[in-house]
Amino acid sequence: MFEQLVEKLPVGIGIVDEDFLVVYLNDFFRDRLPHENRDSYKDTPVTDIFSGQGKFLKRRLKSVFVLQHPSFSYWEQRPHIFPFKSSRPITGEETQMYQNMEILPVKDKSTGKKYACIFLQDVTAQASYFRTQQKLSAALKEEHEAQRKLIRKLDTAQSQLIQAEKMASTGQLAAGIAHEINNPIGFINANLDTLSQYANNLISICDGVENHVTDFNDEVKEQIKNLFEAQHYDLIKDDIEELLEESKAGLNRVKDIVDNLKQFSLDSTQGSQIVELNDVASQTIKLVSTQYASHHYKVESADEKIEIMANPGMIKQALMNILLNAAQAIPDKGYVKLSLLKNSESITIKVLDSGEGIEQKNMKRVFEPFFTTRPEGQGQGLGLSTAYTIIEKHKGKISINSKVSKGTVVTIELPITSEDNSATAPQ
Amino acid sequence: MSAVIPLDEEQRDALQELLNISMGQAANSLAQLIETKIDISIPKITSVTPTQLYTLLFGSADTFHTRQSFLGDIQGEVMSVLSRSGLNEMAKLMEYSEPLSKEDVEEIILELSNILAGACLAGLSSQLELTTNLNMPTLFTPNKENFDELKWQHSLVMEVQFTVAVSSFSMRVVFCLDDDSLTRMKDTLDELLE
Repeated sequence: MFEQLVEKLPVGIGIVDEDFLVVYLNDFFRDRLPHENRDSYKDTPVTDIFSGQGKFLKRRLKSVFVLQHPSFSYWEQRPHIFPFKSSRPITGEETQMYQNMEILPVKDKSTGKKYACIFLQDVTAQASYFRTQQKLSAALKEEHEAQRKLIRKLDTAQSQLIQAEKMASTGQLAAGIAHEINNPIGFINANLDTLSQYANNLISICDGVENHVTDFNDEVKEQIKNLFEAQHYDLIKDDIEELLEESKAGLNRVKDIVDNLKQFSLDSTQGSQIVELNDVASQTIKLVSTQYASHHYKVESADEKIEIMANPGMIKQALMNILLNAAQAIPDKGYVKLSLLKNSESITIKVLDSGEGIEQKNMKRVFEPFFTTRPEGQGQGLGLSTAYTIIEKHKGKISINSKVSKGTVVTIELPITSEDNSATAPQ
Repeated sequence: MSAVIPLDEEQRDALQELLNISMGQAANSLAQLIETKIDISIPKITSVTPTQLYTLLFGSADTFHTRQSFLGDIQGEVMSVLSRSGLNEMAKLMEYSEPLSKEDVEEIILELSNILAGACLAGLSSQLELTTNLNMPTLFTPNKENFDELKWQHSLVMEVQFTVAVSSFSMRVVFCLDDDSLTRMKDTLDELLE
């Protein structure tokens, strides 16, 4: 009965002697042998019957005989020890059987002869399931990664959009304010001029009276003198000019701010033309270096000519703003380097300074209009936001990198064929 | 909850001696199979907490790990720590041809663990006249958190290190017994000591 049971067990059972000759195979093994071998397998070397992984099988059998200790093998590392077909030749997806093997040492009690018993399990179903599962999880992981990338992209796009929106609305606002302020500035300016003429006239009159005071009789003389004194004429005469000068200077400052605001909103009618960037770079550097003379300035360019279609005024303005920021960021002495690099489709402009750097918390706001860390009255916070708008208008990109107390790098990427219809209509 | 009844000095000495003999046999078996000399360290017997066990097993870098459970008169698990260095030489001795695939490496690790742990266990159980059956080894990559959450508080571990003379390969085998098995082993040790 036991013999029958062993024959029919759904696992492979084979017995091999110390010379690796097959002593016994159950149905599981026999059914999978070629027809002609099914009855003549006895006393044949196991490695002849199952030649594919013969070397491995022999090694394992040897180990079992020597150590008298079971040996294991798994489908994950060695899926097909015996060249058997899958248990489902018609509907299965796997063509070869996946196998787990265990070899046990056994001893014939009557003769004392040593044998090795091979157990073979068909684990094709598990292996197939496991592999599908693994593929699935790999696919999921990939998808997850792709989604994460997409989310990151969306995040960037959103913040760029917000920035652009902010710029646009501030630009409109700035243009409106500039226009509104310009009108009163105009008549205040004209009136101030007239006023200062009138003041001069009045002073001449008074001076004339003062000079001719001796011509009057004593009573009138006294009266005039008292009048001058009572109205503090000397003080007024001294002060009036100064007051007018100060007012004019103040008005000029307001005008500057409004001009800058207009520039920021790019209310510029200048069209686009070929701009040679090496020239623009050295011109701008020259301007800045005369103003901040203590630093070292350097322009680096690999190409003799770097030409793009752009609005020259705007580009100069953008570079100027960035260079001024760089120069102003250096407290004592340092260097400012502008490098130009021509790529196949774009130009990279880098402005590097050895200044104080930008604190992390401010990095997000550097392109924000009116954001400044300078004391009131020393900066309007429009420099970088103007540069940003200009570069955007030219379909370029501007980014900033900074390390506190090390310095800052502003990188501009401009396309060589900058075709912005609003600013570059050919004339 | 488990509380390890510490071994007295006599028991410990006896166990140490038994381990020495069985580990020696294990080393011999492997040496025979791969035809090279193998040195063994003096077996260490200690009591550890789960966290200490984790450090014991995974404290060193560049190692592979396997585990195998055994059933029978005494039950427990045997864990092996195998060095990455020298594995190629071992593969050669075991007649694997280079270059080794990931599967080859896994197979070699599992086979080495199986041989050494099996030989150790067989030696120990025959010395103690107990029967044990070792189950198949598997690769082992646990998290420390899982170890910290283990239910037991202390466990007796028996540890021995094998070094292969011709290469830089070394391997540690760590036995852990469950509480019942520990009591049974102590009784057997006492019987032997009488």
